[in-house]
Amino acid sequence: MILRIVVWSILAFLLMPLVIIVLFSFHASPSLSFPFAGFSLRWYADVLGSAQLGSALVKSLAVAGFTALITLVLGAAASLAWLRLGPGGRALLEVLCLTPIALPGLFVGVSLLVLFAQARVQLSTVTIVISHVVLALPILIVAMRARLALFDPSLEEASRDLGASQMQTFGKVTLPLIAPTLIASAILAFAVSFDEFVVTSFVAGTETTLPMYIWSMMRRTVTPLINAISTLALLFSIAILFMAWLIGHLRRRSAVAGRTVS
Amino acid sequence: MKAPRSSMGSLLAAPAVLYMVVFFVVPSLILFVYSFWTAASYKIVPDFVFSNYLNSLMSPLFWTVTINAILIGLVTASITLVLAIPVGYYLVYVSRSQVILYLILITWFSSYLVRIYAWRTLLGTSGVLNTILLQAGIVDTPVGVFLFSRFAVAITLIHIYLPFCILLVVSSLSEIKKDLVDAARDLGASPLGAFFRIIAPNAANGLVGAFMLTFVMVAGDYVTPQMLGGSSGQTTGLLIADQFRKTGNWPLGAAQAFLMFLVSIALYFAVKGLGRATGLIVKRRPAKKVGA
Repeated sequence: MILRIVVWSILAFLLMPLVIIVLFSFHASPSLSFPFAGFSLRWYADVLGSAQLGSALVKSLAVAGFTALITLVLGAAASLAWLRLGPGGRALLEVLCLTPIALPGLFVGVSLLVLFAQARVQLSTVTIVISHVVLALPILIVAMRARLALFDPSLEEASRDLGASQMQTFGKVTLPLIAPTLIASAILAFAVSFDEFVVTSFVAGTETTLPMYIWSMMRRTVTPLINAISTLALLFSIAILFMAWLIGHLRRRSAVAGRTVS
Repeated sequence: MKAPRSSMGSLLAAPAVLYMVVFFVVPSLILFVYSFWTAASYKIVPDFVFSNYLNSLMSPLFWTVTINAILIGLVTASITLVLAIPVGYYLVYVSRSQVILYLILITWFSSYLVRIYAWRTLLGTSGVLNTILLQAGIVDTPVGVFLFSRFAVAITLIHIYLPFCILLVVSSLSEIKKDLVDAARDLGASPLGAFFRIIAPNAANGLVGAFMLTFVMVAGDYVTPQMLGGSSGQTTGLLIADQFRKTGNWPLGAAQAFLMFLVSIALYFAVKGLGRATGLIVKRRPAKKVGA
């Protein structure tokens, strides 16, 4: 009973700031404190009318899309490799994945900046995508590895024994089994990239992604306009989570999970 | 059968490994090499000097912000872990509540900058916290120290990294069988007793890992101190970031980044040593013996 109260108080601490942000995004007056002066949608109208914001959003979506795609291709191959690698290969992959996750973004950001400077690569959207993949790839491999632990390689062997080629086995057995995991992981990579700020701030040059735009606004002033943007970003995160949840439900019915039940 | 499987594995892993080597290992090495170079009037000159390290270690400012970062990191990571444990315990042993899990994930997935901004609006002199305190008559004038202080930095960092820490705690507690905890509870242990006598010794490695990961994230966070730290809450991360953004002495920033890396590693061993010395971390015994 006491434990339950403690747990819900901690959850309240986690959620309260977000609730306040959402509440004041509907505030009729520009102030961000009580008493609440009534509801209005004016800040949302401003958000939707801002061309700068629109272009930052489009840039972020494009960066996140490319990041998810590249991460998915590299990460899916590496995760399938995981099932086939010996202990040495696994250890190498593990070190390469866990080190960047355990380091602050600052370290990754400045080392990439130094790399691009040394290689005389102009900072652009391309360097942002390259950097985001460095962050998303290890997370994707770690997440997929946990789920692929349930994968039964004997299914592939059965398919090969029955005369299917390697490509057929992949297309008809492996891919359908791991597809939900792949999609959920790609969504994760997309979310990591869409929200990334620390590394981006070093490698973006003059490009402005959505978090960079929010940052430049935050530094100048405190206005419900930022609350409105934040609320939309929050809704977007919830939508992403909902998609992942939905796919998780589908996955539960798939053969990968089915085998662990039996 | 074994050989072709393995070579196929290497082939599939190659692109990802290559990518991480080119864009993670190589940049880290270049950064390390940079830390021995020199910067003269905005130009970076290849060199081999230790002055970047020595100058940092002899600079009072470096020590001030580093001690600040360590203090904020230790306090924040400790509180975060203490808050994460009951939630993790509840999720693993009491109820696998999907609602709670998704509430945690929502906060974890909500934007990093948005959460910093939220605390900025909450803690300001005309912010929500001050308005409530004023109206309740607890204070007469708005409390200014909420914002732009170490307190503001710490509470914001706790808020940002708590969901992450909860997920780490959940994964380390999941390794301990529920039967053990149930047995202890049946024998009359309170939840706290069960935690300290059954879970803590068995999950010690995982919990220390969660603490250290949180510490590294928190101590290396430079955005929160920049937005909310004022002049007293600055950290090494911000000092390093500024070398790469404003003053342009990249070699010095590189050296400071590696110094901070060393501090984190030293601290990891210190925490582990402390755990061993106080008996909190013991060699993991086989589950059977603990249950008996």
